[in-house]
Amino acid sequence: MSAVLEADGLQTYYGKSHILHGVSLKVNQGELIALLGRNGAGKTTTMRSVMGLTPPRGGNIKLFGKDVTKAASHRIANAGVGYVPEGRKIFGHMTVHENLLVPPETKGPWTIETIYKLFPRLEERKTSKGGRLSGGEQEMLAIARALLLNPKFLILDEPSQGLAPVIVQEVMRTIGRMKGEGMSILLVEQNAHLALQLADRAYVLSDGEVVYDGSAAELGADTERMEHLAGVSHAG
Amino acid sequence: MLYSAFNGLVVGIFYALMALGLSLILGLNGVINFAHGTFMALGGYLAFTLEPYIGFWGGLVVAPLLAVVVGLAVERFLIRPLYGRDPLFSLLLTFGLAMIMQDVIRTIWGSIGQPFALPNYLNSPLSSSMFFLTGFRLVVIAITVLVTGALFAVLRYSRIGIRIRAGNADLETISSLGVNIFFLRAANFGIGIFLAGVAGILAAGQLGLSPTIGDSLIMPAFVAIIVGGVGSLMGSVLGGLIIGIASGLTAAFFPVAQEVVIYVIMAVVLVIRPRGLLGQEGLFE
Repeated sequence: MSAVLEADGLQTYYGKSHILHGVSLKVNQGELIALLGRNGAGKTTTMRSVMGLTPPRGGNIKLFGKDVTKAASHRIANAGVGYVPEGRKIFGHMTVHENLLVPPETKGPWTIETIYKLFPRLEERKTSKGGRLSGGEQEMLAIARALLLNPKFLILDEPSQGLAPVIVQEVMRTIGRMKGEGMSILLVEQNAHLALQLADRAYVLSDGEVVYDGSAAELGADTERMEHLAGVSHAG
Repeated sequence: MLYSAFNGLVVGIFYALMALGLSLILGLNGVINFAHGTFMALGGYLAFTLEPYIGFWGGLVVAPLLAVVVGLAVERFLIRPLYGRDPLFSLLLTFGLAMIMQDVIRTIWGSIGQPFALPNYLNSPLSSSMFFLTGFRLVVIAITVLVTGALFAVLRYSRIGIRIRAGNADLETISSLGVNIFFLRAANFGIGIFLAGVAGILAAGQLGLSPTIGDSLIMPAFVAIIVGGVGSLMGSVLGGLIIGIASGLTAAFFPVAQEVVIYVIMAVVLVIRPRGLLGQEGLFE
């Protein structure tokens, strides 16, 4: 199996605060990897490091076998990485359609037309301002925007955040469908149970270090361990 | 009364064009461009030098583009290293750059003002009752409407315009969506300088050329941005026109207050509506 992402020993800082202390993780072709951990464990920082938004000061990152540790963010995206940021980051003052015109046109199955077929709701609301959409619609729009790059690798940072359970199910179905089509996915989730249902393997972060690296099913079955590591209980 | 208001409108147009460029650059580049006034002067002087060869109309197109070339070099080599730092750095840089560029202009074209020759048919009044309405003033208005309209159309409908608007709100996110923000910021800076260059030529035709022509316009342009609302391009245009007309009217009826009136307007707006007239909105909604 060829690796899509290999991050090795990431040391990432925000100003003077040292957030990641040597995080290493790997995503293989076609895998769905869950990245779990409590609030402030460094999950988003790991994603931002990979995307070149907060470049690490130590360690290195390879995407599709090429070193991108110091690469600009748009180069990483254009290499075939779709990023759905935490909080969705919709351009609220622009229409749905304008939001979809931000990423460059790329060769591949995803165009604005095919996106509207996948998410008919977005087509219905194409002239609405992004800020007027419901949380679920915004999440769809954020995923749609990332898919327009025709990525080979999708990074989703807390897609279920703030969504009603029914909508969460819909988002997860969409993610499952992408995996079914052979997409490699890195899924960051607070909702560990949800993520582990879909994931092949999981990493758990705590205080900027990897404290679990192994099978998703095994971790999902070991309630006590999961509660201890990721701070989640079955109720979540 | 009409005469003074019209005079003010023409001055307001210069404020508005300046404010528009400053506002664009402030928005996406995050730079308070104190050199904007000298880019304006540069546009005027370049057109002045080119006029014997390519005429007024040719200069109106070519001179702003040459100013853009200088602007792009400045952006690439001086401003780009300062992105992401405290805005104070770029403010100080452009402040110093303005002084250097002004001295360069003095060295090349001399420190005394130069008359900017307009085609004769533009210089005479259109009618004796409306003696203040020269052809050139109509040209100033028409060009401004054209340029501003084109800018808004680009921002509204073109991909680059949509990205500029998105980048104003969240540069990081457009970058993670594959948009080259280095290119986008440079293009945006270039558009801003183009507007300054056009303003410089129009102002030169109206007010005559001097190395400090931009100095008298840049502070009012900042005031226009604040009155119109930071972040709103429509607001910058509106703010420019309002303070221009206000200072035109004050010049006629209460000349002592001509300079101060725009600051009074700014103070009143800030007290009543601190975000400026159109300040709550994003780019031109």
